[in-house]
Amino acid sequence: MSIQGLIKKTRVSLCQDCGICTGSCPVSRVLPSFSPRQMIGRLILSADLDMEEESLREEDIWSCLTCARCLERCPSKVEYLEFVRAVREEAFRIGNKTRYAHDGITQTLVQMQTAGMPQSKTAWAREAGRIQDEGEYFLFVGCLPYLDVVFRELGVSPLGSAGSMLKILNRLGIDPVVRNEERCCGHDMLWNGNVDLFKELAAFNIELIKRCGCKKVIFGCPEGYLTFKTYYPLYFGELDFEIIHFYDFISDKITNNAFNLSPVESTVTYHDPCRLGRMAGIYEAPRKIIASIPGMKLKEMERNRESSVCCGVSCWANCSSYSKQIQMDRIKEAKATGADTLITACPKCNIHFTCALSSSDIEMEVKDLTHVMASAMNI
Amino acid sequence: MSKDVLVIGGGIAGIQACLDLADQGITVYLLERLPSIGGKMAQLDKTFPTNDCSICIMGPKLFEVERHPNTHLLTYSEVEAVDGEAGNFMVKIKKKARYIDEDKCTACGLCAEKCPVIVPDQFNMGLGTRRAIYKYFPQGIPSVYTIDDSVCRVFQGKKCKICAKICEAEAIDYEQKDIVFELNVGAIIVATGFEVFDPSDIKSYGYGTIADVITALEFERLLNASGPTRGHLERPSSLNIKAEIKQTEKKIKKAKARLKSLEKKNQGSTDEARKTLAALDERLSGLKAKEAALGDVKDIAFVQCVGSRDLRYNAHCCSYGCMHSVKEAIVSTEHGSEIRSTIFFTDMRAYGKEFHEYFLRGGAEYGIQFVRGRVAEINQDDHGRPVIWCEDMDARKVKKLPFDLIVLATACVPSKGIEKLANIMGFDSDQSGFVKTDPNKPTTTSAKGIFVCGCANGPMDIPSSVSMASAAASMAAQTVKGLG
Repeated sequence: MSIQGLIKKTRVSLCQDCGICTGSCPVSRVLPSFSPRQMIGRLILSADLDMEEESLREEDIWSCLTCARCLERCPSKVEYLEFVRAVREEAFRIGNKTRYAHDGITQTLVQMQTAGMPQSKTAWAREAGRIQDEGEYFLFVGCLPYLDVVFRELGVSPLGSAGSMLKILNRLGIDPVVRNEERCCGHDMLWNGNVDLFKELAAFNIELIKRCGCKKVIFGCPEGYLTFKTYYPLYFGELDFEIIHFYDFISDKITNNAFNLSPVESTVTYHDPCRLGRMAGIYEAPRKIIASIPGMKLKEMERNRESSVCCGVSCWANCSSYSKQIQMDRIKEAKATGADTLITACPKCNIHFTCALSSSDIEMEVKDLTHVMASAMNI
Repeated sequence: MSKDVLVIGGGIAGIQACLDLADQGITVYLLERLPSIGGKMAQLDKTFPTNDCSICIMGPKLFEVERHPNTHLLTYSEVEAVDGEAGNFMVKIKKKARYIDEDKCTACGLCAEKCPVIVPDQFNMGLGTRRAIYKYFPQGIPSVYTIDDSVCRVFQGKKCKICAKICEAEAIDYEQKDIVFELNVGAIIVATGFEVFDPSDIKSYGYGTIADVITALEFERLLNASGPTRGHLERPSSLNIKAEIKQTEKKIKKAKARLKSLEKKNQGSTDEARKTLAALDERLSGLKAKEAALGDVKDIAFVQCVGSRDLRYNAHCCSYGCMHSVKEAIVSTEHGSEIRSTIFFTDMRAYGKEFHEYFLRGGAEYGIQFVRGRVAEINQDDHGRPVIWCEDMDARKVKKLPFDLIVLATACVPSKGIEKLANIMGFDSDQSGFVKTDPNKPTTTSAKGIFVCGCANGPMDIPSSVSMASAAASMAAQTVKGLG
């Protein structure tokens, strides 16, 4: 679709030029040359001046974190996020790619998943608990096995979270399906403009889940959850199975005291991930979980829920000193609450904060909520 | 059939319409649901662009309305039902019980001095207090007191009746009942005004969580000489600390007395009592240090378009926000030589007569800084000061700016109860909830014989409300005279 068409579709011309987006943008605060409003302005101008291709080669369309902080507050309800995503599709098509982080390892792994190479990534599940090949519940593991290897020296243990999730489900009498053939949900591809690769991955996943006869798919990762729930239907029609986020699933059961929770004496703060909070609307379930752990005190950061600030990197791309600044700012905010632990609900937020802290002298523990839950459950 | 007119709403628009009709020899009933007429204009400190004292220019009209031989005031009253048609409406009205005989009360105020119940004062937007027996505001008309039965001890079944004992005019009557009666009128004018949008819906602005973020109407009360601070420009956080200091001093007094009595009676150890007193003393010095650290208000920020021009809340512009912020910024300089204001705006809408000159004077003579950039969020810094984040669009930079006080220019929304009134009276509302009119017949509603003026029709300033009121009066007069 041309930029003209995108502008119409996403109501971008309703922009009041008020500046709320830029004032809210975590990137604009560290990179003064970036502004959501100005980026739109330039693209609109380029469309008017018949210079679409030139503007699609610009670098700053990749600077946006797609965190939706601006979208939440836009008084003209401009569908900014969809505009950026679609513009990136056009840019990718003419060969403008973002700068992949870590030498593109995650993108390469995802590419390999569509090249017919068999994966062997479920050994952790057989060690941790009981799984099946077919059944009612599908546990969508996502990138955790790969992240576990790539970021091993950070010590965040993504597979530890996966194992905890599995054990908790087993405790509830659920032996979910966990399969080697599972592909990446395609989130990063979708947001980095590679829509064809995204569609391939999605098609594989939908077919696999159907084949296993699963009617309920549980996600631990906000990005997987959001991608299946909101974006898969846009390309593949209504899905035949229910999309459930693990924290939603668990929070009702945990407050009914289905688990005998041991106290964990600590003061914590909670970071709302962009994809779980603003984009999926799940704010209270993680808080319910934290509240049910005896001895755990939650001190909210000032910028919480809809006001939460992105962890600084999106889709394993464009990681730079600006990302670090955003991360350190957020970590300082967490520290200012008086908490000694920053609880995250997204494997990527977990990795990004831990990485930022590893080169700073601020004392703060970063823990995944699933890890925290598991220790309270003595799992 | 009736040649009388009912005006619903005792604000400046309703009052003007009422006077215009009365001056023509038409009998007018002015109905107001609050204990006193005056509306929002009575709550303002000054009016733009002349910077006239609001109540000073309104006061004479309030008196005139009450004294005019052709007007009848129905305050503390509400419309329950309307039947009939143009020329012959039957309106059912409930006059609520004040529990005070209006003919006997002299408004001397002794009752309120002695009343033990202290509650927040709505006229002062909750920044001050009033008693259970109260006069809505000092210059209120009618000049009588009212008992709020939702908080008065007598109506909660508790012992009191102090006001009745004190009242020399014997005006208190706890047995007074609501009166429901019918009024036959030929035409009705809806002048119910507007409501201030509640900015606590906008979480990113911190209203309700950050003490020093207030609405413009609250700011007007702080500026006003008959307001809760007698016109001293104070921050709500200072007021809170002052209140806490007062409370703590009271507690210290009690604790000292207790310690003394224990020492006298020589009964048991005084250690507990000493500890409590020491803790209270420490708390007091902490509070006093806090108060000293806060200092005077120096930097004020005005945030425009709060909840207005915003598809998430109200699409429409409030039309007077830019002007009242310039006004408040100018007036605030009279309250302290070091006071400086910054206005954060989307557009500076100064469309009326001499409005643009007013805005220019604000910048040139009163040092107001104008920043083009709608405020993105308001946080607190480490000292608890409110901080504004916005894009300065001329500088093309995101700025973080702390202030002592932040004033929100909020959206103008329809009056509470207008929906109910629309159902009762059968007129159409527009998509924002205001009374709908045809652009070619600006005071005529969709119901024949029922007219509208002022902010009930949509956001407008005082001169426009007054003009429209005269227009609506003219239309109503035509209806009752059998013309038009």
